Amino acid sequence: MRKGLIQATDSFERIVHWCLAISCLVLCFSGLGIMFHSLNFLGEPFGGLKSLKYIHNITALFFALSLFFAIGMWWKEAGIFVFPEDMDWIKSAGGYLWHVDQVPEVGKYNPGQKMFFLVVALGGAAMVFSGLIMLFPLSIPAMIVRLMYLLHAAGFVAIFAFFFIHLYLGTVGSPGSLPAMTTGWVTRAWLKKQHPKWLKEMEEHGTLVVYGEEKQEGHGHGH
Amino acid sequence: MKTEFVKLIDTTLCTACRGCQVACKQWNEMPGLRTKQWGSYQNPPDLQWNTWTLIRFQEYAPKEGDFKWLFRKDGCMHCTDAACVKVCPSGALYHTEYGTVGLHHEKCIGCKYCISACPFDVPRYDRATDKVYKCDLCYTRLQGDQQPACVKSCPTGALTIGPKDAMIKKAYARVKELGGDANVYGDKFVGGTHVIYVLGEKAEVYEGLPKNPSVPVTTVLWKDILKPLSLLAAGGVVAGSFLHYIIHGPKLPDEDQGQDTKGGE
Repeated sequence: MRKGLIQATDSFERIVHWCLAISCLVLCFSGLGIMFHSLNFLGEPFGGLKSLKYIHNITALFFALSLFFAIGMWWKEAGIFVFPEDMDWIKSAGGYLWHVDQVPEVGKYNPGQKMFFLVVALGGAAMVFSGLIMLFPLSIPAMIVRLMYLLHAAGFVAIFAFFFIHLYLGTVGSPGSLPAMTTGWVTRAWLKKQHPKWLKEMEEHGTLVVYGEEKQEGHGHGH
Repeated sequence: MKTEFVKLIDTTLCTACRGCQVACKQWNEMPGLRTKQWGSYQNPPDLQWNTWTLIRFQEYAPKEGDFKWLFRKDGCMHCTDAACVKVCPSGALYHTEYGTVGLHHEKCIGCKYCISACPFDVPRYDRATDKVYKCDLCYTRLQGDQQPACVKSCPTGALTIGPKDAMIKKAYARVKELGGDANVYGDKFVGGTHVIYVLGEKAEVYEGLPKNPSVPVTTVLWKDILKPLSLLAAGGVVAGSFLHYIIHGPKLPDEDQGQDTKGGE
């Protein structure tokens, strides 16, 4: 860790994020193996498609648990839009799509991230719910079960596509972002560019945790 | 494809002897399970994982005319446009060279998708083996130039099997002969079924027989729209991200390695 880096996430946040990410990916790929005949071979290393089904169903438990913690941890900051600031950012698309002289300053989460969070939270909950019904279809009217298959497929369309957007913007599309998920320590320059208002807030409230410096207040987590 | 076969069930000739039910069990080596007397000859009460065909007994009192006792042999209809085959993720359910719907049991993963997709409510699940079962129109017997066990056992000629066109013709000739409400059931929907009824009464009279069966619209949306869309959307996003990177470029912090510039702004 270099001196001067700023802590953007705590370890609990990162562990939940990784659990959610890994279980989501395992679900996506085992689900793909079940959905496409041409991808049935994804089950072969585990002994066949039936094993893939079990992997999918058991991983879903970890996903549900991770999602529960993720929503509990993020909904206040990432699940609520604040107007009119967020609208200004949306109007300029955060400077991601065309040139914007002055991108409206955003706090800890920009509206794009909030939208992503809502898709994951609502879509993930829909996946857990529809998946649960798909596990026990015989005790439920066929009409409802059929709708659940549809919902599960629709959720997958959204989540799978969103995953790649998230991957791009978390890595090469926005250099400097990835450490927020790995070590938790980001550069001041990155914070200034991506979340200037949050940086100011932390400075004002004295909650900024800078590596190699004494904590300003009693907040934050150990180095 | 070889000659498409159609099994014709002429309900007006059925005497409900249930020989077909027994022959089916015997040929397919399905066990009989203890059932309860529930006031009907219809036994077991419904199709089961071990009962692939069943004579349904129905007491029918029309508003005009005489009371009737209706018998209908229930079982897989072997759709051309089969919802079960469409949803089956493992390829366990498949179309045979005879146009019927076969089932590779070793491939079945017990997902039960077919159970809610089937418009005729035919596939049945067995918890012990975690697999689904249904009639395969005696696929191995067809391969050996034999009639299905049920057809072979039928003493009244209510069950017959033959090439598709000839059987449909035969069905319509029989309906013409019967007159009244008699009708052919099966050739007009889900691409044409490979089990066709000659019904003595209108289709809606029969319990458990859908009037206009079809592949569920949710199944079509799921398999024909959302399934390809999932790959298209993901591919589009990957391509879009790449284009974004080479056209617009990444969002970079303004200063290089800005961690030492604290207090400088």
